[in-house]
Amino acid sequence: MNCGFCGREIDITATPGPVEGEKSCGGCLGGCRKIHCPHCGYANPAPGKLLSRFLSKKNKG
Amino acid sequence: MSEPEKSSPKVVLVGNPNVGKSVVFNALTGAYTTVSNYPGTSVEVSRGHCSIADQRYEILDTPGMYSMMPITEEEAVARRILLNEDPHAVIHVVDARNIDRMLPMTLQLIEAGLPVILVVNILDEAKRLGMQLELELLQQHLGIPVIGAIMRRKIGLDQIRQAIVDYAMVPYTPFIYAVDLENDIDKLIRLLQGDYRLSRRAISILLMQKDDDIIQLVAECETAENYTQILEVVREISFRRRADLNLQISLERRKVCKQMLTGVVTQTIEDSEPFAEKLSRWMMNPVTGTPILLFVVYFGLFKFVGGFGAGTMVDFFEGHLFENYISPPIVGFAEQHITANWLFELLVGEYGVWTLGIRYAVALVLPIVGTFFLIFSVLEDTGYFPRLALLVDRLFKRIGLSGRAVIPMVLGFGCDTMATLVTRTLETKRERVIATMLLALAIPCSAQLGVILGLLSVEPRALMVWTVFLLLIFLLIGFLAGRVLPGASPVFYMEIPPLRCPQLRNVAVKTLTRMQSYFVEILPLFLFASVVLWAGKMTGTLENVINIFAPVVKLIGLPVEVTTAFVFGFFRRDFGAAGLYDLQTSGLLNLTQLTVAAVTLTLFVPCVAQFLVMIKERGIKTALFIFVFVTVMAFSSGWFLNKVLIVTGLLA
Repeated sequence: MNCGFCGREIDITATPGPVEGEKSCGGCLGGCRKIHCPHCGYANPAPGKLLSRFLSKKNKG
Repeated sequence: MSEPEKSSPKVVLVGNPNVGKSVVFNALTGAYTTVSNYPGTSVEVSRGHCSIADQRYEILDTPGMYSMMPITEEEAVARRILLNEDPHAVIHVVDARNIDRMLPMTLQLIEAGLPVILVVNILDEAKRLGMQLELELLQQHLGIPVIGAIMRRKIGLDQIRQAIVDYAMVPYTPFIYAVDLENDIDKLIRLLQGDYRLSRRAISILLMQKDDDIIQLVAECETAENYTQILEVVREISFRRRADLNLQISLERRKVCKQMLTGVVTQTIEDSEPFAEKLSRWMMNPVTGTPILLFVVYFGLFKFVGGFGAGTMVDFFEGHLFENYISPPIVGFAEQHITANWLFELLVGEYGVWTLGIRYAVALVLPIVGTFFLIFSVLEDTGYFPRLALLVDRLFKRIGLSGRAVIPMVLGFGCDTMATLVTRTLETKRERVIATMLLALAIPCSAQLGVILGLLSVEPRALMVWTVFLLLIFLLIGFLAGRVLPGASPVFYMEIPPLRCPQLRNVAVKTLTRMQSYFVEILPLFLFASVVLWAGKMTGTLENVINIFAPVVKLIGLPVEVTTAFVFGFFRRDFGAAGLYDLQTSGLLNLTQLTVAAVTLTLFVPCVAQFLVMIKERGIKTALFIFVFVTVMAFSSGWFLNKVLIVTGLLA
């Protein structure tokens, strides 16, 4: 994904966030729902499980 | 590790950061990759495998590097991989838009005798900027495979796979530098006798540049006598060229690059600059950028969030749906079937979970944050925010911040708690403290902003007073904090991404994601707050708290009932704003009181969650100081504004 602020590419597998092994940065109350850009620090929204499932279904379709 | 994996030919990906190396890596390897620290370092290296034409290859994604002469640990690891892994092919990924700046490293890789494949990525953006690239000509000039790619759309992937299979190492023709430099390189090449993975020419140049790893490598590969002689020559060359060696090497490489790119890159000279470029420039220029910012604030926030979100949408959800259809049967049911007063109060009473918790969250706050997140996602997707950062950089420097602080400030309009967390990305402690304080004081969160805009937008004068007053407080406190806290403002630099048309899908996904996260977070807190307030009401504690605050509230010219909104505000800023909405719709406040209440509530203490994050990020002492300062500042400002409005009769 690309950062919504600086536009640079984020390697989501290497970034704290709700992906790949739930490497949460521990900042959010009630679980992590943000992907922090390693280049500028911007907090990008990470789609929840329901929305992700819907999006992946659409992509497959 | 199994034997076949060990013997798989290796393909190493190298290049500057953010040129799409990882995209090439993921496209080649798919999902089956491992990430581990490179031995002896804390630098992560990704490894994966791919099969092309029945041959299995091991793919290594190296950390970003700018040159073969490493400065950072990441660069050192990337070069160590090139030195130690004996690659079948080295894929150098470059950004087409900056090919002139990245090609010197390609020259270094070729010069080192490595089997280089050059991938010129992001061709679409280069084309959009009017660049035409003749890559076949570049291939002829460099003597290595050159592939054009748009890797995010997987264009060029098949050619890369084919180039890996077809790669046949051919001896390269050295790029010739200035005669005096060539003489020195030649002196060292003639002395080198050992067996090296890199070419002797590359080793010689790196020796001249006093590269410690290479000096160590030469010590290991040469006889003691030869090594001493080499060191002597290196010392002599380094001393003679002590003023300009690195510069000369760099200039010589640039000269060669220029020759290589002759006829390869042509910039289409357009009669007129594309509109997006013009608009981008206007957004960052203070003279044109300020009216654009005012336009965005007026139509995006005041009209859309304040007028449509807090007005039309809330009227529909709260005034129509809840009031006419949803609440009456629920309250009616409770009146008929619940005899215990405490239970009735808990569920549908003044501070009941239905009355405050669910109604506030669903009917008041959600429509407002929904419209806010929609406009926020549109602006985010266009690439407006980094331009805003550059626009306000000069102003922010005066208050001890840099343009980078726009990130937490912008996020603060969504949620101040999250924004406080993000202040950790600011460079200096001074910046982090100032940003945390300004967030706690003068940046209203989305729902609070929406409700206040909705309440005040009916009277433009009140809205103007609220906006100007908050802006002045923001600048004044920032300016004073910048003077009181010692330290320099860091230089702010960022590459500006292209301005783009917002994509419907992106905007929809971001808006829905933010709304979902927000709702999941606030609903339990709203329910909890309503239970606490209910308990306070039943035990009489709430009345005592209100009595403590009442004189202060009266002092700033507000009716005592407003105290409850301040108490709500401590649980959540948006909860307090929703309380103010209820008071206003009950007709308890005149225009002056409404404006004073809106200003004081905006400046009032951070909510519980923000306060906890402040403690976590800045420490208990700083957090407590900010808390006390903000409370005193909020009521002092409210008192001052009340006096000014009464004396001037501005909102009479």
